[in-house]
Amino acid sequence: MKLLLMPLFLMALLINSAWATPTGRIFVTNEKGNSVSVINGASLEVEATIDIGKRPRGIGLSPDGTELYVAVSDENKIKVVDPESLKIIREFEAGSDPETFAVHPDGNIYISNEDDAKASVFDPKSGAQVAEIRVGLEPEGVAISPDGRRVIVTSESTNMLHVIKVPEHTIENNILVGSRPRAATFTKSGDIAYATAEISGEVVKVDMNAGKIIKKGTTGDSKSKPKDVVLSKDESKIYVAGGRANKVVVMDANSLEIIKKIPVGKRVWGLAISKDGKRVFSTNGVSGTVSVIDTDKNEVIKTIDVGKFPWGIVIND
Amino acid sequence: MGENFKNSLSTRYILNKCAPLIAFFLFIPPFAYAETLNTRFAYVGDIENTAYMGVVQGLDEANHQGEFLGLKYSIDVIPKANTKLDGYLAILVDADQKTLLKIASANPDTPVFNLTSKDDQLRTSCINNLLHTIPSNRMLQDAEKQWQTKTPDSKAKAEAWHPDFVKFAARDLNKRFFKSHKQKMDSNAWAGWAAVKMTSNTVANTKITDSADMLKYLKTELLFDGQKGEDMRIRETGQLSQPLLLIENDKIVAEAPVRGVAKPPTLDSLGILHCKK
Repeated sequence: MKLLLMPLFLMALLINSAWATPTGRIFVTNEKGNSVSVINGASLEVEATIDIGKRPRGIGLSPDGTELYVAVSDENKIKVVDPESLKIIREFEAGSDPETFAVHPDGNIYISNEDDAKASVFDPKSGAQVAEIRVGLEPEGVAISPDGRRVIVTSESTNMLHVIKVPEHTIENNILVGSRPRAATFTKSGDIAYATAEISGEVVKVDMNAGKIIKKGTTGDSKSKPKDVVLSKDESKIYVAGGRANKVVVMDANSLEIIKKIPVGKRVWGLAISKDGKRVFSTNGVSGTVSVIDTDKNEVIKTIDVGKFPWGIVIND
Repeated sequence: MGENFKNSLSTRYILNKCAPLIAFFLFIPPFAYAETLNTRFAYVGDIENTAYMGVVQGLDEANHQGEFLGLKYSIDVIPKANTKLDGYLAILVDADQKTLLKIASANPDTPVFNLTSKDDQLRTSCINNLLHTIPSNRMLQDAEKQWQTKTPDSKAKAEAWHPDFVKFAARDLNKRFFKSHKQKMDSNAWAGWAAVKMTSNTVANTKITDSADMLKYLKTELLFDGQKGEDMRIRETGQLSQPLLLIENDKIVAEAPVRGVAKPPTLDSLGILHCKK
């Protein structure tokens, strides 16, 4: 019976995803603006602003792109927005002080609960909590391998990357890194991950199968407190948000040497890369802007005014 | 839509009712380690002092980290001591100058942390194993002078910490401390927390368990994130360099090094850097 149903299920999934035409929009949470700015992907202008609730931070999309999730930290909720109509369609309780999250290929949301030293897993359809995993103090960044087998949660005050196995939801490894690890990202194969450590100004490259750091680099000057990290489409470079250095640092993904520092707005934290790999977007908290970087030239081609203290960013492409 | 809404309401009702039960089944214990490394601290002083609460906070956090690495930390409280204390990785002290000096000389190969005395002479005398997480009077004065250069009529006083501090995840530490101790975290509490945290971080990173090795590492290699935004080091005087807060009418008005005024514009603008040769 299961064998018979599986192809039907897969077909339904395919049809479903084929129907969902991405809006091309770029969504940005404004931490102190209590809003989400909606940027038109073609014109790169803000086309709408959604009143979302108090202190929105983490933001993400369902695997099929039909639902936008926003962690509204001071309301302890995740709100679900229709990326097409821009209406809030549901909301659910997401534990204490939900901050950053990532969406698993199976649709579940893995979220860091900063105040409770745990990561929680939610099914966004029902709002039910599926699991909870004890991690270090001040869990922050969440990254999921493309095959869905591993989840990294960074704990800022315990200075660790916790590697969680899925579906078991047990900890496979704890990797000590520099002070205040903030964000991580996986390669497509899932064999390698990159993570940033804010206070030590480090970027580490981790062999995920061995659970070991294989390379360390730094983002340069002392003001540079790295936050978000994304990989270029060909995986030859990483883009690191340089915090108060007000720059996006481009590094060689292999050697972790700095290729270029691109000046953006003040206190750059969030990053997103387009699916075609041609654009990187940064949120510049203090400036209240989003910078658009052309990845061929590694130059800013446009700066967009958004709300107060832009934080997270996601592209519906 | 209406039907869905009702469904989600009843689901939530069930979830709320059964939350403790569900939590029990969902809870997954942390990483299991075959061997556990035990590390002991000694605290000499008054357990009513907020410095001790900071020590306990640091110990809780060290044990939290230790769960994932197979490390355990414990503390023995010794109300009064001026002799040799065996078997401790570090000794944490809330006492006067005289007692501090006695404990330091009785335990020359063990890091002895001064958590509460701001006395400048304790720093200028450069006792090898005496480390100070609380800022010296001179550091506080330097911070106040920097701020007065900018705002001559200000009467702001410098502190190591303040319960309203929110930047650099200070908010999280203040919240954790208040939750555990039902008191606001002050400078002495921060100094106690910092001493334990820098030692336990070193154990986690280096697996050092010998007190003499720990002392050497703390004095020469330590980079410590004290949730004040900058990596801190221990100077040859034994003093932990650190950003300070300027407080007026119980409000934070500035951070030192004061931007645009501090020379050099780094932590080195606060306090004495070197021992007299």
